[in-house]
Amino acid sequence: MKKKKIGVYICHCGGNISDYVDVEKVRQAVEGEDIVFLAKTTMFACSDANQREMVNDIEANGLTSVVVASCSPKLHLLTFRNVTQRANLNKYTYVHANIREQASWAHSDNKIGATEKAIHLVKAAIAKANYAEALETNKVKALKSVAVIGAGVAGMKAAISLSNKECEVVLIEKEPFVGGRVSQWDSLSTTTETGKEIVNRLYNDLITRENITICTNSEVISNKGSVGNFTLKIKKTPRYISTSFHPEDLKKAIEVCPVEVPDEFNFRLTPRKAIYKNYPGEYPQTPVIDLKNCTRCGACEKVCPAVNFSEEEDIIEISVGSVLMATGFDPYTPAYGEFGYATSENVITLPQFKRLIDEQSDTLVYKGKAIQNIAYIYCVGSRQAKGDNTYCSRNCCTSTIHAALTAKNKFPDINNFHFNRGLRTYGKQEILYADSLRSGDIYLQSYEDGLPTVTIEGKKTIVKINDILTNGKEIEVEADLVVLVTGMVPRADNKVGTLFKLPKGRDKFYNEIHMKLRPVETVIDGVTIAGACQGPKNIAESVNSALSAATKSYSIISKGELESEPLVATIDPDRCTWCGACEAACPFDAIMKSEKEGKIIAAINNAVCKGCGMCAPVCEPDAINVTACSSTEIMSMIDALV
Amino acid sequence: MKDSLKSSSYDALVIGAGIAGGEAALNLANTGYKVLLVDKELSVGGKMIMLSKVFPTLDCAACITTPKVSEISRHPNITIFTGSEVSNIRKISDNEFVAKVTRKPRYVHVEDCTACQLCEKACPTSVRDQYQFGLIGRKAAFIPFSICSPKAAAIDIDNCTLCGACERVCPTHCIDFTMETETNELHVKTIVVATGFNLFDPNNIPRYGYGKYKNVITAMQMEREIAPTRPFHTILRPGDGKVPDKIAYVLCVGSRDATVGNPICSQICCMYSIKQAQLLMGALPMADVTIYYINIRSFGKGFEEFYQQAKGMGVNFVKGKIGRISEKENGNLILRYEDINKGKLQEAEHDMVILSTGVLPTKGIDGLFENETLTLDQFSFVGQSDMLASPAKTSIGGVFVAGAATGPMDIPDSILSAGAASSEAISYIIQHA
Ligand SMILES: Cc1cc2nc3c(=O)[nH]c(=O)nc-3n(C[C@H](O)[C@H](O)[C@H](O)COP(=O)(O)OP(=O)(O)OC[C@H]3O[C@@H](n4cnc5c(N)ncnc54)[C@H](O)[C@@H]3O)c2cc1C
Ligand SMILES: Cc1cc2nc3c(=O)[nH]c(=O)nc-3n(C[C@H](O)[C@H](O)[C@H](O)COP(=O)(O)OP(=O)(O)OC[C@H]3O[C@@H](n4cnc5c(N)ncnc54)[C@H](O)[C@@H]3O)c2cc1C
Ligand code: SF4
Ligand code: SF4
Ligand code: SF4
Ligand code: SF4
Repeated sequence: MKKKKIGVYICHCGGNISDYVDVEKVRQAVEGEDIVFLAKTTMFACSDANQREMVNDIEANGLTSVVVASCSPKLHLLTFRNVTQRANLNKYTYVHANIREQASWAHSDNKIGATEKAIHLVKAAIAKANYAEALETNKVKALKSVAVIGAGVAGMKAAISLSNKECEVVLIEKEPFVGGRVSQWDSLSTTTETGKEIVNRLYNDLITRENITICTNSEVISNKGSVGNFTLKIKKTPRYISTSFHPEDLKKAIEVCPVEVPDEFNFRLTPRKAIYKNYPGEYPQTPVIDLKNCTRCGACEKVCPAVNFSEEEDIIEISVGSVLMATGFDPYTPAYGEFGYATSENVITLPQFKRLIDEQSDTLVYKGKAIQNIAYIYCVGSRQAKGDNTYCSRNCCTSTIHAALTAKNKFPDINNFHFNRGLRTYGKQEILYADSLRSGDIYLQSYEDGLPTVTIEGKKTIVKINDILTNGKEIEVEADLVVLVTGMVPRADNKVGTLFKLPKGRDKFYNEIHMKLRPVETVIDGVTIAGACQGPKNIAESVNSALSAATKSYSIISKGELESEPLVATIDPDRCTWCGACEAACPFDAIMKSEKEGKIIAAINNAVCKGCGMCAPVCEPDAINVTACSSTEIMSMIDALV
Repeated sequence: MKDSLKSSSYDALVIGAGIAGGEAALNLANTGYKVLLVDKELSVGGKMIMLSKVFPTLDCAACITTPKVSEISRHPNITIFTGSEVSNIRKISDNEFVAKVTRKPRYVHVEDCTACQLCEKACPTSVRDQYQFGLIGRKAAFIPFSICSPKAAAIDIDNCTLCGACERVCPTHCIDFTMETETNELHVKTIVVATGFNLFDPNNIPRYGYGKYKNVITAMQMEREIAPTRPFHTILRPGDGKVPDKIAYVLCVGSRDATVGNPICSQICCMYSIKQAQLLMGALPMADVTIYYINIRSFGKGFEEFYQQAKGMGVNFVKGKIGRISEKENGNLILRYEDINKGKLQEAEHDMVILSTGVLPTKGIDGLFENETLTLDQFSFVGQSDMLASPAKTSIGGVFVAGAATGPMDIPDSILSAGAASSEAISYIIQHA
């Protein structure tokens, strides 16, 4: 082995490191090592100026390897690999040492210890650099197609945007109809268009496009492969009605259907039939028979020849280069008895209230009773001091004020009382709040320790609060209707997330790689997230994230080829006895049984393997090596550490 | 470093190189399009590069901005003009815009400058440093700030006395007073407007005493005080250099206030104030920090938890609007406010007050366009012609908007908005090829 010439850079991180770690001391401690050619400290290793200096150093001195001791490799491993590459050094000769998260930040109470630890970490990195070899990236073919999962506004917009970029799109929606939650809203804040109009506009755009395949009533049931080439199986449930139906016949068929179930589209406020369509202009236009509730009585078949119970479930397989997840949210369902929910006649949720005011005209009536006083209780299922949902749902303040204003315009006799926890009509939405105050709506506020109560006194429903806006005075309102402002929660059904191994955050929404800078990418290469499945968002925010995700998905596959890391596990065919232990240990399903020259052994799928090393320790005969983490390298690092 | 007006034809023009413009440029460039990125300042990076840490992750802003900035400045498909402005934009056809780009002379040849700072030391003229928001001074020959990009000196000709001291010390002879304004005609297929926001000037609310009382500063100035590249080595009050121990934040300064002509909420100031409060509690463990607010708007992912964390750390939150601020002889400040919880007028003494000033539009963007009208919204932000279904579209086909140019927004929202604008721009180029 040619003697190494290593360049070591120790970063101040503008004080983030040097406030606790004596970086000069670290420099001196490693400077003398035989293989270290130069050791420098720098204010910001990642700055453009320092990157330029590194390139110069490498080129001028013929360095064979570089170590930067700075922040987490999550942040800058790639930055510095690229620096070495620009200096014509193989990027895998770069070794990273994290002395910020692992030394300065972790031991800010002990500067001497932090410095000691940093020295060891840098020495270990140097030891590793001594073995670092030039490696070549693996090239993987990338299909220029994307599966978009969920056809709410986010999914529909993403599909349109990808189609514009001449990408094949398969849009997969598990419901029989497209549009997601937005199709459930009529009037919307900050626009005169209704939710249904927006959905219809997008759908009519979608169907003109040859490169988009829309699969409704469909679910992804399996996923194999990885970035560049995912193979998905999609289960398509039939509608049991042929598309060449006669509208009059179908109307009759719906009339004669004897089955009634709660209508989820109306948040169970009303019933629907087993053969149904949620609203007249809904897309796709063909209604559907909900076989789970259908009794097969045959009544519809008699009046409508388009009904066809012989349609069969279909499973199709598609291959795509990237997957864009846009599965949206569920409204929070209050617990039994939470602010009188389910225990009191006239307590409903905000989504139900929106459906109610959309469906009615002239006078507002609920369960046969005319409504005058409406009490809105905010933050139900959000900002919980006790409970899992500690987050704020972002939209519900604005949606509630908007719904209350809409209701007042439609039914001028009503009085709105807002029992809130501090209003969050952020940005331009503030104007709506000002309008609401001007219209005479009453606002009462409490903190988390003094939430309002809902009590039933005889026939009356009383909402009580100690209102902090009037010096903590106890105020009660006799409400004809109580609207619980329920927040957004992740979809209850997360089967599809599990299929793709998508990690979730503390709030149980899908998690992005980096909250600030990479909000639509996930740790699963090739899978992006868009819309409310990443966290509460309004429509414009959902669309922004959908288009961002479309751009990211597109830029991954647009070149038709992608590079994958050479840092993967390798199998020694002589030693492997195919016990299968590694297959079970691999969290990415990268290991499969295969045959090589008549011997059954394990094989690694390089495109999928992340080089995490989970397999290596479980291999009894020691047949697995992880590239650039060989036992020699690891042992030399351990020697430097202790 | 790309420093010459090589080509006058690009696929896309991005106006403004803050985080939104930078992200939009990168997205376009990574999909293979040639981009010209123009900023009127001497460095790219916008407001974000000046911040301390960012809510709610408390990532160091410099650490997450500089790699983006260096990715942008190295990208083979991106050409950057700093100190430059675009004007006279005309739409010629569906796939061609013509514009004028004007580059003011920097009086330093960027490619030769080594940022050795000798000129700074030699220059006898001191003025307030706009990149430290006036907290300290700088020379007329100066490097904008430590992590600026391009990292090179510039001569502030308005304040320069033409003494020639810098020219004499410069080891690479890159200072050149003969440089002139360059203008160039530009041809592009699509445009992304990412001109960001302005901060409210608290001089417009005299009762808070900004500009009169030295220990009343803005949150942007506090960002600089707590940034890793901070001008002082510690946190201190400008009046007398004392380390403060009773700090007050006044929220909604110039926001949610029709009397100053800005009725909307600025959406970021609650959160950046809470962030600063946490950082101050860390840096000055003995200090008391009080935040005077109307409502706390911690609405985004991880924000409410961040707010609760600040409460847990002992930040004092007082619901109440500040009436006026007056100064005591020792430089301390008396805040008069209505305490909503107690229902009465109160007074409190603090030794330093930070005004959390709001977000205003960057004025005059519509004036850049010549033969088509860029419609602004009622608050003078760039108008969104299809706000819900295509938030990046403007009134002009082929011109898209990203980031705080459309209204107040934080970094992640700016990134998402930039993603949308670049997505629309890419589609536009492909559809109008
Ligand atoms: C009460 C209320 C009022 C609102 N009012 C407004 C308003 O006035 N203005 C505004 O801008 N925003 C409003 N919003 C927010 C708006 O509803 C959301 O921004 C929007 O619905 C988010 O769109 P999405 O596509 O991300 O998710 P969704 O609308 O939830 O769509 C997701 C889609 O994915 C499908 N899906 C889920 N799982 C799968 C799976 N496994 N496989 C395939 N498909 C799947 C779903 O069936 C659905 O069609 C309101 C929200 C609420 C709760
Ligand atoms: C005190 C403070 C603290 C903050 N803290 C945080 C935080 O912790 N976390 C967070 O998420 N957000 C924070 N923010 C918000 C953050 O700064 C913004 O979200 C972000 O800067 C918006 O980016 P932008 O690119 O849209 O605008 P800007 O950063 O304003 O960038 C716009 C760019 O356009 C240039 N420009 C303007 N007009 C022209 C023109 N005519 N020609 C050429 N160029 C032009 C400007 O010079 C500037 O470089 C904070 C803001 C402030 C004020
Ligand atoms: S948006 Fe408003 S109602 Fe919804 S959780 Fe946040 S504060 Fe509560
Ligand atoms: S654990 Fe080792 S021996 Fe067993 S199959 Fe995997 S590589 Fe082969
Ligand atoms: S202009 Fe000259 S003296 Fe000034 S920093 Fe650049 S190289 Fe140094
Ligand atoms: S974000 Fe907070 S401080 Fe800023 S204007 Fe809105 S309410 Fe006021």
